[in-house]
Amino acid sequence: MILGLISWARKRSPWIAHFCTGSCNACDIEILACLTPRYDIERFGAIVRGSIRHADILLVTGPVTRQVRDRLLRIYEQMPEPKYVVAVGTCAISGGVYRNSYNIYPGVDSVIPVTAYISGCPVKPENIINGLSFLLKKIGESE
Amino acid sequence: MSLESFLFEALKIIFFPGFVFIFILALFYEWFDRKFYAKLQNRVGPLYAGPLGILQPLADFIKLLSKEDIVPKGVDKVLFTATPLFSLSLSIFATLLLPIFSVKGLLSFEGDLVIAVVLLTFLCIITFFAGVASYNRFSIIGAERSFLQLIGYEIPLMISVISVALNAQSVTISSIVSSQKGLWYILGPNILGFIVFIFAAQAELERIPFDLPEAEQELIAGWNIDYTGRRLAMFRLAKNIELVFLCGLAAALFLGGPLGPVVSGYEPILYTIYFIIKSIFVLAILTIVRALFARLRIDQIVSLSWKYLLPLAIIQFLIVRLMI
Ligand code: SF4
Repeated sequence: MILGLISWARKRSPWIAHFCTGSCNACDIEILACLTPRYDIERFGAIVRGSIRHADILLVTGPVTRQVRDRLLRIYEQMPEPKYVVAVGTCAISGGVYRNSYNIYPGVDSVIPVTAYISGCPVKPENIINGLSFLLKKIGESE
Repeated sequence: MSLESFLFEALKIIFFPGFVFIFILALFYEWFDRKFYAKLQNRVGPLYAGPLGILQPLADFIKLLSKEDIVPKGVDKVLFTATPLFSLSLSIFATLLLPIFSVKGLLSFEGDLVIAVVLLTFLCIITFFAGVASYNRFSIIGAERSFLQLIGYEIPLMISVISVALNAQSVTISSIVSSQKGLWYILGPNILGFIVFIFAAQAELERIPFDLPEAEQELIAGWNIDYTGRRLAMFRLAKNIELVFLCGLAAALFLGGPLGPVVSGYEPILYTIYFIIKSIFVLAILTIVRALFARLRIDQIVSLSWKYLLPLAIIQFLIVRLMI
C-alpha cells in the first residue's frame, strides 16, 4: 500500500527543471508557453524549479555541444533519484539541423539516458503536454 | 490526573487541534493558496490529484519524502540535518499557541503573545543557518538576504502587535481574543496595524513581493538550494505551518479569532469553523498581495519598511495610545 501511495505521489507531482544545451531558444519559449494560462501544466502538479536538486524531470533542449557536455553530465549527476530526462525538440533528439557538425553530439541520449522524446522544431506546447503525460504514465507503470 | 483525562489530553495533542489537524490544515492552506493564485492568473492550477487537485500538496510531500536524500560534500552536516527539524518543530510549537477550538489555545499561558513573536524571529534565524549550512554561494546570498529583510519588517511587525496588546491591555492571546467580544480590532482602531501585519507576514513567509531569499531568477532557489528529499519536505511543511500560524495569528489579533455567534453546546465545532473561515480570509489577502506585486529589490524592501511601514505602525501605536 505504501508503495502504491509513493507511486501515486510520484505520478502526481512531477517537478521540472529546464536545461538549455545551446538551442536556438524556440524550444525554450515553447516550454515557457506551457506555464501560461492557455496550457498550464500546473494542472498535472508540475512546477518549474530553479534548483536541480528539487527536480524530478530534466527537460533538455537543443543540441549537445562538446563544451556543454560536461555541464550536462554534472547537472544530471546532481539530481536526486528517481530522475527522468526528456529530450525536447529535434536538436535534443538527434542533433537536428546541426547533425554531423564537428562539435555536436548526436542527441542527448549519447550523453545521458533519456526516458522520453518530444519531437518538433520547435515543439508544440500540446506536444510537450502529450510527452509529459506519456512520461507520467510510464512512471506509474515502472513502480 | 485520572487516566481518562490524560487520554483526552493526549488525543487533543495528537489529533485535534494538535499535530494531525495542523498537518491537514497546512496542506489545505497550501492548496488554497496555489489554486486561488492560479485563478487570479486565469489558470486552472492543480487539478488531477484528488478532486480539484486538493491532494496536490500531499502528493508533493509524499514524493519528496520518497526521494533520494543527498548530503553534498562540504556541507556542515550537523546544521544541514538539524535545521529542517528545528524549523518544523518550532513552527508546530508556534501553532499550538493559536486559539482554534476555544478562546484559549492548546498551550496558553501568561504572555504567550511574546513567545509567538519571538518564535517568528527564531524561524527566520533558522532560515539563515539553513542557508549557511550548505556552503553554496547562492544559498549564502539567500541567507544574508533573509536577515536583511528581517531588519526591515521585524520592527513594524512588533509595533503592530504591541498596539493590539496595548488595546487589550494584555500580552496573552486568550485575553486579547476575549476582549474582542464587542468589536473586532480591525474594525476598531487597528486597521493600520492590520495592513502592516499583512505586509510583514508576507515578508516573514518569503512570498512575492518579498521573496528575495529564494528569488528563483537570481538565486536559483536561494537558501534551500541544496536540500533534497526529506529535508526539503520538512522545510516546505514548516513553511506551510508557518503560513497557518501567521494567518491564524492575524485572525486572532485583528479579526476576533474564533469568536462569533454560537449555539450553546456546539461551541468547539463552531469556534473551529469561524477560526478557519477568518484565517482563510487572511490567506486570501496574502494570496492577492502575492499575485498583485512584482518582486522588490533588497534596498527597496528595507526602505519600504523603514519609510512607510514603520511610520504607519508608529501612527497606529499613537492612535491606540490616545484612544485608551
Ligand atoms: S529543435 Fe528547432 S526550434 Fe528547437 S532548438 Fe533545435 S532548431 Fe531550435
